[in-house]
Amino acid sequence: MTRVLVIEDDRRTSAEIAAALGDHGFDVECAYNGRDGLLKATAEKYDAVVLDRMLPGDLDGLGVLATLRTIGIETPVLILSALSAVDERVRGLRAGGDDYLTKPFEFVELTARLEVLIRRQTAPQRETALRVGDLQIDLLTRDVRRAGQPIELLPREYRLLEYLMRHAGRVVTRTMLFEEVWGYHYDPQTNVIDVHVGRLRRKLEEGGLSQMIHTVRGSGYVLRPTE
Amino acid sequence: MSSVRLSDIPRTTSFRLALLFLGLVGTGAVVLFGFLYVETAGFLARDVDSGLAREVSVRAPKSAAELERLFNERAPLDPEGRRPFALFDRAGSWIAGTRATLPEPLPPLDNAFDFTLSRADKPVSYRGFLHRLPSGELLLVAEDITQIHHFQRLLAASMLSGGLVVLVLGLVGGMMVGAGAAGRIESVTQAIERIIDGDLSGRLPSGRRGGDLNRLIRVVNRMLDENERLMREVKGVTEDIAHDLRTPLTRLLAGLERAHRRAGSVDEYAAAVDEAIAETKGVLATFGALLRIAEIEAGARKAGFARLDLDIVVADVAELYEPVAESKGIAFSRESDRRDSGVEIAGDPSLMFEAIGNLVDNAIKFTPAGGRVILRTFEASDRLGIEVSDTGPGIPELERDAVLRRFHRVEKCRHTPGSGLGLSLVAAVAKLHGLNLAIEDARPGCRVRLWRDGAVVPAA
Repeated sequence: MTRVLVIEDDRRTSAEIAAALGDHGFDVECAYNGRDGLLKATAEKYDAVVLDRMLPGDLDGLGVLATLRTIGIETPVLILSALSAVDERVRGLRAGGDDYLTKPFEFVELTARLEVLIRRQTAPQRETALRVGDLQIDLLTRDVRRAGQPIELLPREYRLLEYLMRHAGRVVTRTMLFEEVWGYHYDPQTNVIDVHVGRLRRKLEEGGLSQMIHTVRGSGYVLRPTE
Repeated sequence: MSSVRLSDIPRTTSFRLALLFLGLVGTGAVVLFGFLYVETAGFLARDVDSGLAREVSVRAPKSAAELERLFNERAPLDPEGRRPFALFDRAGSWIAGTRATLPEPLPPLDNAFDFTLSRADKPVSYRGFLHRLPSGELLLVAEDITQIHHFQRLLAASMLSGGLVVLVLGLVGGMMVGAGAAGRIESVTQAIERIIDGDLSGRLPSGRRGGDLNRLIRVVNRMLDENERLMREVKGVTEDIAHDLRTPLTRLLAGLERAHRRAGSVDEYAAAVDEAIAETKGVLATFGALLRIAEIEAGARKAGFARLDLDIVVADVAELYEPVAESKGIAFSRESDRRDSGVEIAGDPSLMFEAIGNLVDNAIKFTPAGGRVILRTFEASDRLGIEVSDTGPGIPELERDAVLRRFHRVEKCRHTPGSGLGLSLVAAVAKLHGLNLAIEDARPGCRVRLWRDGAVVPAA
C-alpha cells in the first residue's frame, strides 16, 4: 500500500487531506509540526510527503525539506502553500520539492499529482514503446496505432496522448496537462484543454472504436484500456 | 495663516538658524571691532610717545640753566597745559616750566607713562616722559591725552551701540522668520491632520513664492494625488468584489438551502453538491485571478523574467486556441509582418502567454459564429508587438478605459460567462512588462494592441 506522510499544522485541513488521500487508497500518517514531520520522515519509509510550506515553530516547511535532502532522503515531496507567487514556487522547488500546489486546491489535483510523483519514483521512463489496451505508440518513431490502424496526430496531440498513456489508469488534471504538455504555468480556467482532448479523443475513436479517454467529474481525464 | 504662539517661536528651526547666524556674525563683529580699537588706540598712543621722545632728545643735550630759561619763557605760551614741560632738581622739587609735581613713586626714566595732573581743580590725563640730565636735574615732557581718551571712549561707545543694533535687529528678524516658518508649518500640520482624519481630497497649502518648503509641499501633494487615486481604486475594487462574489455565494447558499428543503433522494443531494462545488470553484477562481492581478501589479513576478521569444509564445497561443475557434465556427488566423522572427523581449513567458491567451480567448468568446479572429505580430520601425482583432460587437469608445478595470464587463455581454478580470490581468501584465495596451475600433469589431516602443533587440 502506498504510504503518504502529511505534514500540516492545521488539524482540520490535515484531516481533510488524510480523508481524501485515504479515499483514494493511500495509507496516510499525519504530523502537525516540522519537528515531528522530520522525525517521522526520517524514521520510516514513505512513498511521498505532502508538506505545508508554513509550519509553526522554528522549523518551517522549507527547513524540513532542506534537512531531508541534506541527509539524503529522496522521498518525493509535494509542497502546499498559500503563497502563489512564482518565485515562491521556484524557491520551493529549488529547496528540493518535486511539485508545488497553491492553496486552495482541489483534492483531485492533489491526488493526481501525488500519483505522478510516486510513479515517477518507481517506474523509470526507459521504454521505447507504450501500450494501453489496443492503443500503442512508438516513442522513437512517434508512430501511433490503435487496433493496428495508424492514427495521424499533430505534434501537440501526440504529446498529450503520450502523457495520458504514461499515466494510464490515473487521473490527470487540466492544469497538469497544461503544465506538462504546453509548458506554461497557470490555470487556463476555460475549456481550451477540453477542446484539445476532444479532438484527440475523436481521432482515437475513429471508425467506431470504443472510448479510451474519459472525463473525470471535477477537473481531469483518465485514459483506460477498453474492457 | 493660522495663529502662532509666541512661545513656539524659539522652537522653530528658522529662529534657531537665525540665532546661530546672529551669534556667528556677532562674534565676527566683536573680533573686528576689538582689532580696530586696539590698533587705533595703540597707533594714537605710539604717536604721542614718539613725539615726547623727540622733544626730550632735542632738549637733553642742553644744560639745566638753559632749559630753565627756555621753559620759563615757554610756559606762558601754553596756558591750557596742552604740552607742559618742566624741570625738577635732583630731589624732585620743581624748578622751572609748567608748574607740576612729580608722580609718586617716580616712574621709570626714559619711558612713556600715564599720570594725572590737577588743572583748574580738575584731574587731567597726561602722557609723560622723564629724563635725567647729566647734571642730575629731571626733565619732564608731557602731553594732554584727554582728547585721545575721549576718542577711545567714543569709539568703544559707537561699537557697543552698533553691536546692540545688530543684536536687536537679528533677534527681531529671527523671530519674524521663525514666526513665518512656524505659521507655514502650523498650516501644513493642520492640513495633514485633516487628511489623517479622512479628508482624502485635502492638500497641503503651497505658498506663492518658490523655496524649499514649497517644493516639498508640491511633491507631497503629488503623492497625495496618487494616494487618493489608489484609495479610490481600492474602494472601487472592494465594492466590485463584494458585488461579484456575493452573487455566486448567494446562488451557492440558495442551492444548498433548496437541497435541504426539497431533496429526497441521494441523487438529488449529489446534484446539489455538484452544483455547490461548481459555484465554489467559480468563487475560488475569481479570488485566484484577483490575487494574481494584485501580485502582478505589485511587480513581484519580475523575478521570473527571462528573455522570451515573442514568436514562440504567439505560436503556442495560436496553437492552443485554434481548435476552440474552429469548434465555434470562427475563422482563426495568425499573421505576421515581422521582418525576421526570433526577436526577444524580457518577460515572464507564462504571463505573456496568459495575457495574449486572454485576448484571444475574449475575441473568440465575443465573436459570433462565422466571424474572424486574427492574431498578428507586427514590427514597424521602433515598435514591436501583437494585436488581436475580431469581428465581434466591439467595445464602445466610452467603455474602453473601463474594461481594463477589475470586474468591468460591457453591459450587453453580461450573459457571457467570465469573471470580468481577463482584461485587467492583461493590463497588469502589460504594465509589468513596460508594454502599451490600446483598444481600438476594428470596424467592425475590436482590435487590441499590445506593443513595446523602442529599439528591437535581436535574439542571441
